[in-house]
Amino acid sequence: MRLKIFRWKAIGPLLLLFAIIALVVVVFAEPIAHDTTEEASTELLGTQVDVGKLDLYPRKASVDLRALQIADPFRLTRNLLEADEIRLKLNPTALAEKKLVIEQLSLSGMRFGTTRKTPARPVEGNGFAPKILQAVDQWTKQFNVPLLSLTPIDTIRQLVLNPSQLTTVSQAQALLARTDSTRKALDQGFQQLNIRPTLDSAGALAQRLSATDPSKLGLDGTRQAIQSVQQTLRKLDAAKNRVEQLEQSTRAGVQLLGQGAGMLDQARQKDFAFARSLLKLPTFSAPDIGNAFFGQVSIERFKQALYWAELAQKYMPPGLLPRPSPGPQRLRAAGHTIEFPREKDFPRFLLEEGLLDFSIGGTSAARGAYAATVRGLTSAPTLYGRPTVITANRRAAGSALAAIDVDAILDHVTTSTKDSASARLRGLKLPSFDIPGVPFRLDPGIGTSNLDFTMRGGGAQLYGRWAISSQQVRWSVDTAGRSLNDLERLVWRVVSGLSELEVVAELGGAVASPRLSVRSNLDRAVSQRLQAVVGEEVARAERMVRAKVDSLVADKVEPLKRRIAVVQTEANARIRAERQRLEQVEQQLQAELKRLSGGLVPGIQLPKIKL
Amino acid sequence: MLTLLKLIQSMIKTLHSEGTPGQVAAGIAIGSVLGLTPLLNLHNLLIFSFVVLLNVSFGGAMLGWALFVPVGFLLDPVFHAVGLELLQAPSLRPLWSTLTNTPLIPYTNFNNTVVLGSFAGWMLLSVPIFFAARYGVARYRATIGERVRQSRFYRAVTASQAYNWYRMFRPG
Repeated sequence: MRLKIFRWKAIGPLLLLFAIIALVVVVFAEPIAHDTTEEASTELLGTQVDVGKLDLYPRKASVDLRALQIADPFRLTRNLLEADEIRLKLNPTALAEKKLVIEQLSLSGMRFGTTRKTPARPVEGNGFAPKILQAVDQWTKQFNVPLLSLTPIDTIRQLVLNPSQLTTVSQAQALLARTDSTRKALDQGFQQLNIRPTLDSAGALAQRLSATDPSKLGLDGTRQAIQSVQQTLRKLDAAKNRVEQLEQSTRAGVQLLGQGAGMLDQARQKDFAFARSLLKLPTFSAPDIGNAFFGQVSIERFKQALYWAELAQKYMPPGLLPRPSPGPQRLRAAGHTIEFPREKDFPRFLLEEGLLDFSIGGTSAARGAYAATVRGLTSAPTLYGRPTVITANRRAAGSALAAIDVDAILDHVTTSTKDSASARLRGLKLPSFDIPGVPFRLDPGIGTSNLDFTMRGGGAQLYGRWAISSQQVRWSVDTAGRSLNDLERLVWRVVSGLSELEVVAELGGAVASPRLSVRSNLDRAVSQRLQAVVGEEVARAERMVRAKVDSLVADKVEPLKRRIAVVQTEANARIRAERQRLEQVEQQLQAELKRLSGGLVPGIQLPKIKL
Repeated sequence: MLTLLKLIQSMIKTLHSEGTPGQVAAGIAIGSVLGLTPLLNLHNLLIFSFVVLLNVSFGGAMLGWALFVPVGFLLDPVFHAVGLELLQAPSLRPLWSTLTNTPLIPYTNFNNTVVLGSFAGWMLLSVPIFFAARYGVARYRATIGERVRQSRFYRAVTASQAYNWYRMFRPG
């Protein structure tokens, strides 16, 4: 019987199965796409994304999203963006390759900073965005923002310090142990040099030859004598090398001890600051006041910019190398999914052009002409070949909100990435905030706010500048829990008399070691007033602090410094002595060699000895 | 419990079907890919079509699927390692790049380490699975097959309505 390969009668049921699958796709595609869009974008952005409705138009290769809300990851009660309708025109060829290329995006009914009906859920888990959110939270903690201390001078207590609290003491103890071990290591080094036998035999040879007449030695005798001298000179040379090596290691060791001694002075400065903080002395240095008043609020602004820049770094990596990412969640292991971008092909995600251009009329604060553009937002910038450009602006003369200009360029085309953004808001109601450490609240009113932020090389270089200015500042004081003390009343009198505010905060350095400086027009006014009233008493308290710290650390530091000096001197002297002895005997041998050879033995090359 | 009963039912029906041991073994070998690789991928639709269209034992394929699901779960770490090796091999990079940029192919998720590793694993195991299954089925029929066929239990199983559906796809 001939075996059949195909089961033709199964074609009908198979086609029926395909038809059922197609029907299921048609029926469930929109709800599945809706849930997947919400889930994926929430995970990608690290903040809750809600889509009211999602409609697919397969014939037009387009998608409509309605009632889109993107929560602010830093304020869960607020939406970063809300849009009534977003229409995405997709590239069908790219879609066949499982790539999302948005040829055109249009939005309508867009609003920013709206209040949510229900607070957003914080995004948790091991996704990249929650990790970045945690990392930027940690990042803000490395800034040493001083609290404005306005403790009355008459309440300063006697300073009680425990030596174990002081960094200088612990560092001195560690350095003492290191000094002892360096000294031991030096002793061992000198013992291992073992140049005594070389010196003795060289000395004996030199003495023996000096008593010899070369003319009586004969040719063989002279040759042998010269060879012995050369051999001994080589041994001396090796000994000199050993001394040189020991000298280098000694120099490095004592240099480290010297650096350690220098660090003790820095540690003492830290201890002064620590002891001073125990007394809670009033702050009246102008830079400290600027930092104390506006440091925290400035960091919050930079933190938000850093979060978005870090997300861009992750989702828009430069280069065309294969990129692994976690696979899809399923019952089976997720594994890794690896992308293989290729030149002249579509990237996995590309928003070619997003345009927003509309007006809001009437008399509301939001009225005005809006325009926004997003070009070249992609998951493979190198493939796309051009930086992503985002611009948004709004013009509304005479409105409470005069103008908004936002520009951002994300250049990840090459490995030297550069993300820069600037936002200029004019005629804006600036948010009010509490001044940390004192019961004052500042309401800047209508003013201008500018933020510039640049990150190069994935965080190797940061630059940020945040400035606000207002002519209608209002101050309020919260005396519900307690009454103001004398110093607080003094500062209150100064600040409440000011209606203008100019604050400039600058960020520099790298992500790993950022520097923040904040200055404002309040700093000098508050500082001068405080200095005039409590300057002398604070200076006296500071002198007391210094004396206390000095008394606790002096008996540890001064003997240690002397000990280090002794080790240094001793080591240098011993090295010098060994070197002199070697050179002395070498000179004797050289003289004998000259006398022995004296032009009688041509062809014998004298060894070159470094002196 | 119901799944277990179904499995037993499927196994018994398959072992006693009119198909040759080779057809049953081919069904098991092809069906095992459904169990070894993550199910919801485009390539499994193609495999299912082969099972239906080729003159192999449909029951055998279902049996292979059921038997190899736990094996797939157990071997996932191995499949991940194998898939990672293959996807990161510099000599294969042009192939993966081409496949990534070929319409429909990316929907097979071949660029996922577990999917590729398990598929490669199946390619290697399918031949031993086929020969082992063919030997096992032949031995079964030669030894205890007839006694089972005469049992009341077998008659109860084959009398069910589902058996009629199954007969439609039995090997000719």
